Amino acid sequence: MSSNDHDRQPHPREDEHEFGEERESLWRIAFAPTIWAFHFAISYAAVSVYCFRYEQMYSMGTLRAGLIVMTLAMLAAIAWIGWRAFQRWDVRGTGEFSNPAGSAEDRHQFLGHAGFLLAIVSFIGVAFDTLPIVILGTCR
Amino acid sequence: MTDHNTPAGDLRPEGIYPPTEEMLNEPVPLEVQERQKERLGRAWKTPEGWRYWTAVNNSEVGVWYTMTAFVFMLIAGVMALLMRLQLWVPENDLISADLFNQLFTMHGSAMMFLFAVPMFEAISILLLPAFLGARDMPFPRLSAYGYWSFLIGGIFVIGSILFSAAPKAGWFMYPPLATLELGIGSDIWLLGLSFIEVASIAAAVELIVGALKCRPPGMRVNVMPLYAWYVLVVGGMILFAFPPLIAGDFLFELERSFDWPFFDHTRGGDPMLWQHLFWIFGHPEVYIIFLPSIAIAAMIVPTVARRPILGYSWIVLSAVGTGFLSFGLWVHHMFTTGLPNISLGFFSAASEAVVIPTGIQLFAFVATLIAGRVKMTLPMLWIAGALAIFTAGGLTGVMVAVAPFDWQVHDTYFIVAHLHYTLFGGMVFPVIAGVYYFFPFIAKKMLSERLGRWSFWLIFTGFNITFLPMHLTGLLGMPRRVYTYPEGLGIDWLNQISTVGSFIVAAGFAVFAWDIVRPKKDQPQIPRNPWGSGTLEWSHEIPETKWGVRSIPHITSRYPLWDQPKLVDRMDQGRYYLPDAEEGLRETIVTSVIDARPIQVQRVTGPAYITIWAAAFTGGAFILPTFHIYTPAIVSAAFAVVCILYWLWTSTARPPEKDMKDVGLGLSLPTYAAGPQAVGWWAVWITMLGDSTAFASLVFGAFFYWTSNTAFPPPGAEHASGYLVALATAAFAVSWALTRAARGLNRAGRVGLARGALALAPILTLSGMAGFGISVLDLDPTSHVYPAMMWALMIWVVAHGALGTIMQLYCLAGSIFGKLTPRYDADLWNVTLFWHFMGITALVTGAMMGLVPRLM
Repeated sequence: MSSNDHDRQPHPREDEHEFGEERESLWRIAFAPTIWAFHFAISYAAVSVYCFRYEQMYSMGTLRAGLIVMTLAMLAAIAWIGWRAFQRWDVRGTGEFSNPAGSAEDRHQFLGHAGFLLAIVSFIGVAFDTLPIVILGTCR
Repeated sequence: MTDHNTPAGDLRPEGIYPPTEEMLNEPVPLEVQERQKERLGRAWKTPEGWRYWTAVNNSEVGVWYTMTAFVFMLIAGVMALLMRLQLWVPENDLISADLFNQLFTMHGSAMMFLFAVPMFEAISILLLPAFLGARDMPFPRLSAYGYWSFLIGGIFVIGSILFSAAPKAGWFMYPPLATLELGIGSDIWLLGLSFIEVASIAAAVELIVGALKCRPPGMRVNVMPLYAWYVLVVGGMILFAFPPLIAGDFLFELERSFDWPFFDHTRGGDPMLWQHLFWIFGHPEVYIIFLPSIAIAAMIVPTVARRPILGYSWIVLSAVGTGFLSFGLWVHHMFTTGLPNISLGFFSAASEAVVIPTGIQLFAFVATLIAGRVKMTLPMLWIAGALAIFTAGGLTGVMVAVAPFDWQVHDTYFIVAHLHYTLFGGMVFPVIAGVYYFFPFIAKKMLSERLGRWSFWLIFTGFNITFLPMHLTGLLGMPRRVYTYPEGLGIDWLNQISTVGSFIVAAGFAVFAWDIVRPKKDQPQIPRNPWGSGTLEWSHEIPETKWGVRSIPHITSRYPLWDQPKLVDRMDQGRYYLPDAEEGLRETIVTSVIDARPIQVQRVTGPAYITIWAAAFTGGAFILPTFHIYTPAIVSAAFAVVCILYWLWTSTARPPEKDMKDVGLGLSLPTYAAGPQAVGWWAVWITMLGDSTAFASLVFGAFFYWTSNTAFPPPGAEHASGYLVALATAAFAVSWALTRAARGLNRAGRVGLARGALALAPILTLSGMAGFGISVLDLDPTSHVYPAMMWALMIWVVAHGALGTIMQLYCLAGSIFGKLTPRYDADLWNVTLFWHFMGITALVTGAMMGLVPRLM
């Protein structure tokens, strides 16, 4: 309750100000799962269109390679997001795992922690969803 | 003094925040406290006599909502018992095949749409304000409207079985069975449930805005109760899950009413599109049911463990992660439809991945229990039962997520067993735990410990006796949804065991229901915080008061009742914010999204008949078309619009009597907000996000036909008139620009010009609507799915254009009659926001009708 930012006067357009202050972290907590969602949707759509319209015409090799390259890029992006969130969480600096207190500092680190954990789950999700592309070479 | 040139929506809070310890220590004189209580009591008084039903307060609406959903659950449960009786012996003739079809369809539909989802909304409306120390939800009349819509729609749908007119194609209504089905059963399902889905989306809007904007000062996102996190996630999921179903219902009803062949493969349609749209809704829906129920567990577990939850961030992770991943599972209901195996692989993988976040939250609960000093209270007993049953259901879930295993058990009783294990463990048990836990908060009386234990053991054992054998029944090959079975398949005795079990479950529910309704007049008054909990709802006053919280506290920890020892005394004395209702108005504090800094005093609406009328006429608009009565339906819809306009005009965003209000503790807050500061703006934003999802589903449909059908559009097909579509799109675009310009002009004080823009814009909108309408007149929607799709897109954009026109005229009228001025312009902000979505919808429709088909 005694954190410095408490002494700040209420700001006009409070929300916009806050989004300015925390825009990155608010987005960042949903950013890794959003990458998962795009990965999922793109893989599924690309494979469906291929299997229904172009299977007879072309082999699947290029599509698979393309999707795997996309996957690697997305995994790298998630890893980077996770790393940045881990730094925000700053557990090595503070030794504080759960950030239960009511200061802006705690909220800041908490959003880092949540973003970090979501990045891990998203990473696993993307890896899982790539397995069919790696293992199966055809539509059937 | 406030500056009268500043728009009221731009006024800033003035004074001191956060409050200092000395300020909080300053006592409030007793006679002041009494006067404040008297005024608060008058403002929040529940109407009496027959006017009681005009109440809109969350404590009333929440109770009606919960009890209605519970009654629908009991009715759907009786249907299950009838089915179990029919399956008691082979070749039974107790119930006809036709009635059996109606029973299983209604059992599933009612449990999902009339019990599980509404129950989440009901419980949240009832409890969320208390978790957040708010006086009410931000839009009480919207809750009431949602409730009355739910009641009317629910009675209509469930009552159909009394006339043997109920839907009978199964709760997921697959075409072509459901499109060819004679009678009105399928129409009742489509229209009745669409009506209720609209109510669900209304509740989602209310709950999201409530969790984001109505938290008490100081309650940052990292200290808000976990329940609020779950509400946010589930509200967001509803916005992306329900609209595809609404879009599907829209196409389906067009096919049933007017023979437009969306799902008829002989004319280019595809039944698979329905399956996709249904399950894009249907699988997230499972988690929409599960997450809020497990959120109840997240409130109970720390209390019984008598320690803060372990892994708060981990639970947030698992709620958000599950919310996302649950949208990648829908095809696992469609493993046997012949989709390419590689496509199935994606959904199989995602189905296995969702286990990770789901498991994490359960482990967090178990860890909290291990680390704490557990008191095995009755709510905890139900939570323990929930964990056991849900885990068993989760294990079979991992099995059926593997496609080859699913091919073996698809549509057998194995699936029936699996889904009941997940739903009882994931929803029914936690919700009953919640009823036992929160009953003292809701009714200010305790439920019976003895009856509660009886009910638990009856339901728990009965449940396992019913559903455990069903795994085997299914593996032995008994398909679901058959009204009888021949002798000698080795499943007779298994069915008999299940039937016996189902009646034990029913007995347990009878005990539970009796415990709730039995008179409790003679019971002693409960202690204020009977479970020794740490969260804000247990600061409630005994005996009951109607104002929610006596004063809105400043919160600095996750368990304020444990960590802020003077909190409750100070709340009671009116030491915190808004301890009074000087103007006799119902008010609550609106705070900022992340850090919950106070930004506004929100005047909330009070008792009204208009919500009941609005719901009744909306009901007419949905229910009458079931019987192909269209003209009265349109009249009813028009009346609904009039009611809603009256309600908005008389009670929302009206210029306040003064711009700033002293809320106590040296802080003054604006009483008016416009644009992104206002809760109404957020509500429009969230609603339109859902609306866009539905529109996106329609667009997805067009592309789906293109992928699945080699001739979409068919060669040589006639297209919508290119010129007209282009002109109509341009008319919408200009109307959009005029609306946006009107907002700027009005703010700049150029009222005349703003009115001119608002008068011209509707004319353009109407011409745009006419242009889209005429452009497809030469196309015959019954001939092929392509012209039908063009007509559907046209109807969508025209219907939205009609709404947009009404909104533009509403603002024009507001400007002329002094409701909307340069200083008080919230309505125009909201309408402009609608028009941003409207404009994009019109542009995309223009492209989909004029451009894309010519390129496909």
